Amino acid sequence: MTVLKTSMRNFFAHKGRMALSAIAVLLSVAFVCGTLVFTDTMNTTFDKLFQATASDVTVTAKDASDTGETTSRTGKPPVMPASVLGDVRGVQGVTKAEGTVFSTSVTVVDHDLDKLSPKSGAPTIVGSWNGNDARTMKITSGAAPEGPDQVMVDADTADKHHLKLGDEIGIISVVGTHHARVSGIATFTVTNPGAAIFYLDTKTAQQTLVGRTGVYTNVNLTAAKGVTDAQLKKNVTAELGHTYKVQTAKEVADANQKDVKSFLDVLKYAMLGFAGIAFLVGIFLIVNTFSMLVAQRTREIGLMRAIGSSRKQVNRSVLVEALLLGVIGSVLGVGAGVGIAVGLMKLMGTMGMHLSTDDLTVAWTTPALGLLLGVVVTVLAAYLPARRAGKVSPMAALREAGAPADARAGVVRAVTGLVLTGAGGWSLHLAAIADQAKVGSAWLGLGVVLTLIGFVAIGPLLAGGLVRVLGAVMLRIFGPVGRMAERNALRNPRRTGATGAALMIGLALVACLSVVGSSMVASATDELDKSVGADFIIESSGGAKPLTPAAVKAVQDTPGLINVSRVKEVPAEVTLPNGSAQKQKLLAAEAAYPQDVRRTTLSGRLSAVYGRDAMSVGSDFADKNGVKVGDTLKVAFDGARTARLRVAAVTSDDTTVDKGRMYTAITTVGRYMPADRMPLDLAVLAGHSGDEHQVYAALKKAVAADPSVTVMDRSDYKKNLRDQVGQLLNMVYGLLALAIVVAVLGVVNTLALSVVERTREIGLMRALGLSRRQMRRMIRLESVVIALFGALLGLGLGMGWGATAQKLLALEGMKVLEIPWPTIITVFVASAFVGLLAALIPAFRAGRMNVLNAIATE
Amino acid sequence: MTSAVTIPRHGGTGGPTAVAARARQVVKAYGSGETRVVALDHVDVDIARGQFTAIMGPSGSGKSTLMHCLAGLDTVTSGQIHLDETEITGLKDKKLTKLRRDRIGFIFQAFNLLPTLNALENITLPMDIAGRKPDRAWLDRVVETVGLAGRLKHRPTQLSGGQQQRVAVARALAARPEIIFGDEPTGNLDSRAGAEVLGFLRRSVTELGQTIVMVTHDPVAASYADRVLYLADGRIVDEMHQPTAEQVLDRMKDFDARGRTS
Repeated sequence: MTVLKTSMRNFFAHKGRMALSAIAVLLSVAFVCGTLVFTDTMNTTFDKLFQATASDVTVTAKDASDTGETTSRTGKPPVMPASVLGDVRGVQGVTKAEGTVFSTSVTVVDHDLDKLSPKSGAPTIVGSWNGNDARTMKITSGAAPEGPDQVMVDADTADKHHLKLGDEIGIISVVGTHHARVSGIATFTVTNPGAAIFYLDTKTAQQTLVGRTGVYTNVNLTAAKGVTDAQLKKNVTAELGHTYKVQTAKEVADANQKDVKSFLDVLKYAMLGFAGIAFLVGIFLIVNTFSMLVAQRTREIGLMRAIGSSRKQVNRSVLVEALLLGVIGSVLGVGAGVGIAVGLMKLMGTMGMHLSTDDLTVAWTTPALGLLLGVVVTVLAAYLPARRAGKVSPMAALREAGAPADARAGVVRAVTGLVLTGAGGWSLHLAAIADQAKVGSAWLGLGVVLTLIGFVAIGPLLAGGLVRVLGAVMLRIFGPVGRMAERNALRNPRRTGATGAALMIGLALVACLSVVGSSMVASATDELDKSVGADFIIESSGGAKPLTPAAVKAVQDTPGLINVSRVKEVPAEVTLPNGSAQKQKLLAAEAAYPQDVRRTTLSGRLSAVYGRDAMSVGSDFADKNGVKVGDTLKVAFDGARTARLRVAAVTSDDTTVDKGRMYTAITTVGRYMPADRMPLDLAVLAGHSGDEHQVYAALKKAVAADPSVTVMDRSDYKKNLRDQVGQLLNMVYGLLALAIVVAVLGVVNTLALSVVERTREIGLMRALGLSRRQMRRMIRLESVVIALFGALLGLGLGMGWGATAQKLLALEGMKVLEIPWPTIITVFVASAFVGLLAALIPAFRAGRMNVLNAIATE
Repeated sequence: MTSAVTIPRHGGTGGPTAVAARARQVVKAYGSGETRVVALDHVDVDIARGQFTAIMGPSGSGKSTLMHCLAGLDTVTSGQIHLDETEITGLKDKKLTKLRRDRIGFIFQAFNLLPTLNALENITLPMDIAGRKPDRAWLDRVVETVGLAGRLKHRPTQLSGGQQQRVAVARALAARPEIIFGDEPTGNLDSRAGAEVLGFLRRSVTELGQTIVMVTHDPVAASYADRVLYLADGRIVDEMHQPTAEQVLDRMKDFDARGRTS
């Protein structure tokens, strides 16, 4: 009981010194809980939406091969004849059946040709207004669409794009562009996370989306009283057979939810990973705090031991303090986590994704996990300092108090660290020279972990050397103040090492990813220059959707283009000579394609591939299956007759562009596949004759009517690539910022506690005539040195990891190593500023210290 | 004897004036109203140049406060303090710091040295802070005098208590300050080490003409001084010139007795 009391008193007496540790715990726990609450809330929102919107039983048309892809290759949704509606009306248990038409393969624009799609990546849906949707939507102004020139818009989209009744919009689909005026605005009665929805009347929807009437994509069924959904499904299946997909409301919701959930899970685990890194960094902060508290309390602990406290009691008293810290930090963290989740939801709101706080979901596991993590991590981190406290001898009470003696980096620790670093370095070397990606990545992972632990272990040792180097380079100019700052950074290498290591972790990841990212861009650019002959690439924004025939025609009609080739992706089953079959996606193109994308052939000629019933295969496939030029392969295109294609060329797979692709001619596919099943063009590639700028401008003008189409010249394409990688990196940097913030708190913490610890020294120096300014500068320089030390370690380690990863990824075609020096140098310089920032408050406090009190402090 | 001006009878040699520091009507009070405590009660004092002055008095008499005020470490409630011709009362922190750095030396009872600096670096610290180059010949002489020649590269933790105080003395002397203040400089030392340190202080006054003010409660330490000031209840109550340890002890006993009877 006394142990608890002493711990409590100590804890509250030193709460100021614990504050930053508590914040570190708080931040990490908050991030974990925020992530969980946010993803749970998203799940709830979608779940509610899907539950609410599905009818009792839905009959859905399916493709000959049900690929389950959301955007259809042909640009038209799979449909069923209207007669199905009549068939199911007669089924027992059906009180109501309604046929609907929906498609997501559309682009909707306003009269300025600006896209009306959500920026959040949510789908744009055009469909027929029907009774089922009327259950979850209320027409808040105007009326339901009637006739070909009316369209109804959901309220969120209308709001976002300032659409009013009577405004004209254009619906661009594979069929063509349909113009209509807004006749009504409907508001969701459940939370709609952000899809843009446009309703036409059934006939117009059929015409606009499919190009003919008398077809439906879905039939919504309502069950009679007393008939379960499952029973109804059974009855309907008995009537229709398995030509169509028949699902109960729950099955529809579950199927939809599955997609959302898998996406949210990826998001969740990625964010938890970053929270984990923050926790790891926080551990250093907590270890440092308790080490310093124990060191400062050495005399007190000695006294406790002298009057009869056992080692265990002393040990436990420190752990109890850690427990208190963990509990307080975690409880606040859980609260802050909910706040973060709400903040994220608001942020999503600004990006056009509406989430209601009514759906805020805090599962009991969330606070439980947050508390458990926070407390366990804190107590574990305090374990070593607590053990050290237990080892304080009773004699310590009698020794003169003063600044704690220099803690030397232990020999055992140094040796262990060196061995681990060496082993890690060797693993990285093995990863770099590995000739199999799988083996190499295992070595890379091992190497990263080992070098990280190794660096943490030899941190104190490195601190000695690196701080001296940094001192020699930059502190000398600050004279005695610089020298004292250097000595202060050096006086406890273990502390400096741990503080620097915390920063190291975050920066190592930043450096590694920036090296990989810029190598990726450099390699891809390099490859692009080497193998892409086309001057222009025309595809839909983001490349996800196929191009509409209208857009393709507009491109083809543009003057000044040469080597124009359309490209389609055609799924097929390829039967090998030995009789086994495998799924492949063939790239069907036109004869000019080899000029647009240059490939090395190992045998045969690419031009022959675009002849009648010919194809090419990649070298890996050819080697593995013993296929050579002249062989004939059976190729079953999806929903088409089986073709027998002659292998006319084997392409080298030593590339990243179209690696492993099988090529064939569009005309060849067309001979086997009915026109209405033919996939739309994914892209059009072309070269130019005449003035490139003029042709570029003409192309842009030609496709201006459809804002979903992008025209890219080579520099656009490279920029696009850089932007995409840059965006991804920025997101990761953003998430790593948490770990870096915690590390910076660690620097603040170390300095603040050092200032307290060195009160007498500070008093002495002030008495001897060190001005406030000099004092503050001394603290700031110490901080900068620690930060730069961490940055040097982190950037060095990270670049090593990045370079190794590049060597490994060279197997996958990432052949160019590019160290992004501007980024690396920026991070290094920024670290110095971070050091300055971290020292702000500790330096201010040191400067403000009353000289007399400082001298009198024991 | 009431608190009064103590005119120096031994004039300094070579200085512009015979008085190195003087305090006039200095009051230092803490708190206000009922809880007001007066540590210094209208104190007038002159510190003679080139002399070794000891300030004595029982605990709580205000002797340390007086020294802190004279040295510019503490502020006064009212009154004036001059260091040579400079009035230091009312100076801002910046000016005071510079004054301490350039014109005053300190020797504290304990924790005089920075643990991260070696002996030599500690000795030259005030000059380093000021950005001045130490006078090599003078530095050698000071180091020689305090007998630290062989230990200049040692860190404080590698030195004994006596050696540490000698480093502190050397630091105080090295910058040739106008005045050195010692706050029980031998309080933590055994009598032999203490005698050594006091010997150096005495010699620096006699041989080098240094001005020293030392707070102590040790009659033996006080006997090294040229003049002893006695403080009680924040006032100067007596002074003694060329004291011996016995005389000081007797006087102290006298105060004790008076303190008990009053």
